[in-house]
Amino acid sequence: MREFDTRVVIIGGGATGVGILRDLSMRGISAILLEQSELGHGTSSRFHGLLHSGGRYVVKDEDAARECIDENEILKRIAPTCIEGTSGWFVHLQDDNPDYMKAWLTGCSRVKIPVKEIDVAEALRLEPMLSRHVEKVYEVPDASIDGFKLLWANIRSAERYNGKFMTYCNVSSVRVENGCVKGVYAENVRTGEKILIHSEIVINAAGPWAGMVAASAGAQVSIIKNKGVLLVFNKRLFQRVINRLRAPRDGDIFVPHETITILGTTSYTVGSPDDNWIMPEEVSYLMNMGKELLDDIEHQRVIRAFAGIRPLYEEASTVVGEGREISRDFALVDHEKLDGITGFISIVGGKLTTYRLMAEKVTDWVCNKLGLEVVCRTAEESLIPPVEEKLKDKARTMFGVAMADKMMERLNDRLGEVVKQVSQDPAQGQLICECEMITKAEIKHVVHEFNTTSLNDVRRQTRLGMGTCQGAFCTYRAIPLLADLLEEPGKLREEITDFLDERWRGVVPILWGEQLRESELTRAIFNTTLGVGQREQGR
Amino acid sequence: MKYRDDVITSLDTCIKCSACTAQCPVSKVNPNFGGPKWLGPDAERLRLESGAILKLALDDCSNCKTCESTCPSGVKITDMILKARRKRSLDQNTPTLALKMRLRGYVLGRAEYLGRLGVIWPGLTNKVLGLKIMRYGLDKALGISKFGPLPPYSQALGIRADQAKDGQNRKLERKVMYFPGCYTNYNEPNTGRMVIKILEHVGYKVVVPDFHCCGLPLEANGQFAKAQVNATHNLELMENYLQVNVPIITSCTSCGLTLKEEYPKVSVPGAERIGQQTFDLFEFLWSLHEKNELPLNFIKQEISLGYHLPCHLRAQGIGIPSLRVLSLIPGINVHNLDVGCCGLSGSYGFKKEKYEISMQIGRGLFEATKIGVNHGDFQEMITECGVCKVQIEHGAGVPTKHPVWILAQAYGLA
Repeated sequence: MREFDTRVVIIGGGATGVGILRDLSMRGISAILLEQSELGHGTSSRFHGLLHSGGRYVVKDEDAARECIDENEILKRIAPTCIEGTSGWFVHLQDDNPDYMKAWLTGCSRVKIPVKEIDVAEALRLEPMLSRHVEKVYEVPDASIDGFKLLWANIRSAERYNGKFMTYCNVSSVRVENGCVKGVYAENVRTGEKILIHSEIVINAAGPWAGMVAASAGAQVSIIKNKGVLLVFNKRLFQRVINRLRAPRDGDIFVPHETITILGTTSYTVGSPDDNWIMPEEVSYLMNMGKELLDDIEHQRVIRAFAGIRPLYEEASTVVGEGREISRDFALVDHEKLDGITGFISIVGGKLTTYRLMAEKVTDWVCNKLGLEVVCRTAEESLIPPVEEKLKDKARTMFGVAMADKMMERLNDRLGEVVKQVSQDPAQGQLICECEMITKAEIKHVVHEFNTTSLNDVRRQTRLGMGTCQGAFCTYRAIPLLADLLEEPGKLREEITDFLDERWRGVVPILWGEQLRESELTRAIFNTTLGVGQREQGR
Repeated sequence: MKYRDDVITSLDTCIKCSACTAQCPVSKVNPNFGGPKWLGPDAERLRLESGAILKLALDDCSNCKTCESTCPSGVKITDMILKARRKRSLDQNTPTLALKMRLRGYVLGRAEYLGRLGVIWPGLTNKVLGLKIMRYGLDKALGISKFGPLPPYSQALGIRADQAKDGQNRKLERKVMYFPGCYTNYNEPNTGRMVIKILEHVGYKVVVPDFHCCGLPLEANGQFAKAQVNATHNLELMENYLQVNVPIITSCTSCGLTLKEEYPKVSVPGAERIGQQTFDLFEFLWSLHEKNELPLNFIKQEISLGYHLPCHLRAQGIGIPSLRVLSLIPGINVHNLDVGCCGLSGSYGFKKEKYEISMQIGRGLFEATKIGVNHGDFQEMITECGVCKVQIEHGAGVPTKHPVWILAQAYGLA
């Protein structure tokens, strides 16, 4: 058994966890983060990608809305390359309740969310796909945010302050002695190695898994696991976030995200954090809902569906109900008060937009517990070090403006290494993924620089396989670049199957039209020509 | 509604099979060109996101439309690329093209004006354009390659007014309208005269109004507004004829493609009919043959020819009607070389930085032509497209003409 010493252990590598790791590290408190899979494999990568302005909460929960607009402004400042300032519209359609609109406008002015009315004719010119039934349009500072990029930016920032993290490391139990936290027992799921980390404090930031983590310490946290299904469209349907101006319901938001558009979402309580399978009826339900904002939705190509689990916090006194009735606000549960375990807290609920604030509150609590007085600086210091203008220009000349800019957003300060590779050997500039325009050099860089163990890890860092073809062409091109990582040749075959399975999982619920043709082509390439990848697809 | 029928629809249709890239003549010789899939539907997704994508690479496409002929899903790939060029030309943030390039676009796009100037005194123009110093000057000043095979000018074809007194008579006569195009009009008017002779021989009166350039060279050289003006002008001249089902005949494959594919998108009266009422000359003659209306009293021709299929004829999706018609002539033997694009592609190969690539694209055709001649298979080439013709003569040194001349011989008209 390998043993480590640290002051704080964080369980869960989602936005909250990495935010806490960054904050603790910046305040000089040693911490190790443990993640059971890859960073962001849970809720933090399985959402619509909206950076809230607060507009969606302003009528029901002014406090949550206020937190959103504050954090919205902070994140735009500290993480510009993770965010696209698309702005967002709240759209009032014919027959929508005018009273809600009035309440919404009042709420926005009270919470100080800047609202600008857009002339309907102008709105239809700017967003030609928008429903012709639109009667009022208001613009707010919504934006789209990339969950993966945000996680990596936090982790790298934390690393600069000596923060540590371990992925594929599953916590077996929280070690408690005499009512006091002493650390955690964990296991590396890849190697089977047992790990013991000694610490004074353990923070449970495991999202939908938080209940299970708490239970391992003999404590109790009740999490409602609320499934939201989302659809990914092949291209940008709108240039702005489009919200329906009514009480938030299913299928009433479109978020443009990089090359795609995401339609969300549903709200359905499930039993397990892993229960994120999608039923065909959920997809047709979403399409019907989306049609109210986008008349021509049937003719737009859907490339996949996915689902995330919202970990909603249910206080003992709260009446059990469907997800949207429960607060999206977060809570800090001190298990000393509730369960008599000192040094153990759970951070539950909340939204990605407020992850930094949640981390700040947790870290304040930790400082208080450890008797330290250090102020939080996460709102002031940029997450990402700036890239030299000279290097940017070089990359733009080499790859063209848009392709270089996308690459910069992914690589940031590590751009230089990829540019160097390609200038030494132009063949490294070959495109492996044409849908998302990812070069051989960038994939090689990701494979060798970070703790990458699979093609899915490469995907989460580069968007490889997330475009139109869903892996049909990039999979067999990228796999040889992983040969160094996978010791036996047989593993390559397994790796292809794993990767295609993951892609296939999201494609199965939306198999119609062009994506059905695409899947048949994929099957022909892998199952027939190459004779691989049959585990799921042969079904 | 227009937006929804736009390129945006065909973007979703692409399943990334890459058949277009496998067939693209530019991709074959230029390893830095990512191919039509990449520049078309792939980049379109990024263009919808940021608009700033692959601006320079857009000029690498030669607009030959081989990708569109190839695509099994029917994606309008070249259309997408041309529209991106148009968007680029309207984009305030694009660094304006160097004056030289803008001037060149102006010159190469206006084959018509050049033609009108050239035919005033063709002898002099040809002498001047033939001067090495002049070509050197064009090369340096405008970036028009000094090696490119600029075609010589002749006496213009001119217009042929409609002799009918009023609209009543129009319906009774067997009449066609001929759209000769700039190349025929100014560089090879005798071919145009022969087209008219043939049409008359098969029983049709021929009207040739004062058409302007079809607009394709303008589009290809970034002069989009002017292309629109031309299309509108030409459609106005055609409108009355289109209403009474008079066929429009083309002998230039690029004009034919433009009339069939681009003009229906212009919003003026007649545009809705132009697509189905335009016929390539041989397509029209074959349709007569199918109705048993084509005279078959051919003189036997003991002749062997090589044939090159122009990309813009292939893109019309009508097969090769000239070969079908010529096969009716006894004694004739045609070798269809079937080696793809000649490389010149309108004005692409005249551009200084594209000349080399254009010659590389055409290499397969030049080789096949030379081999055919060396083997004694044929001594002469035929092809419908004027610039394909000058490129074959330039690259292979083998005399080339429009197939209408062979038909004329067989009818005893030439």
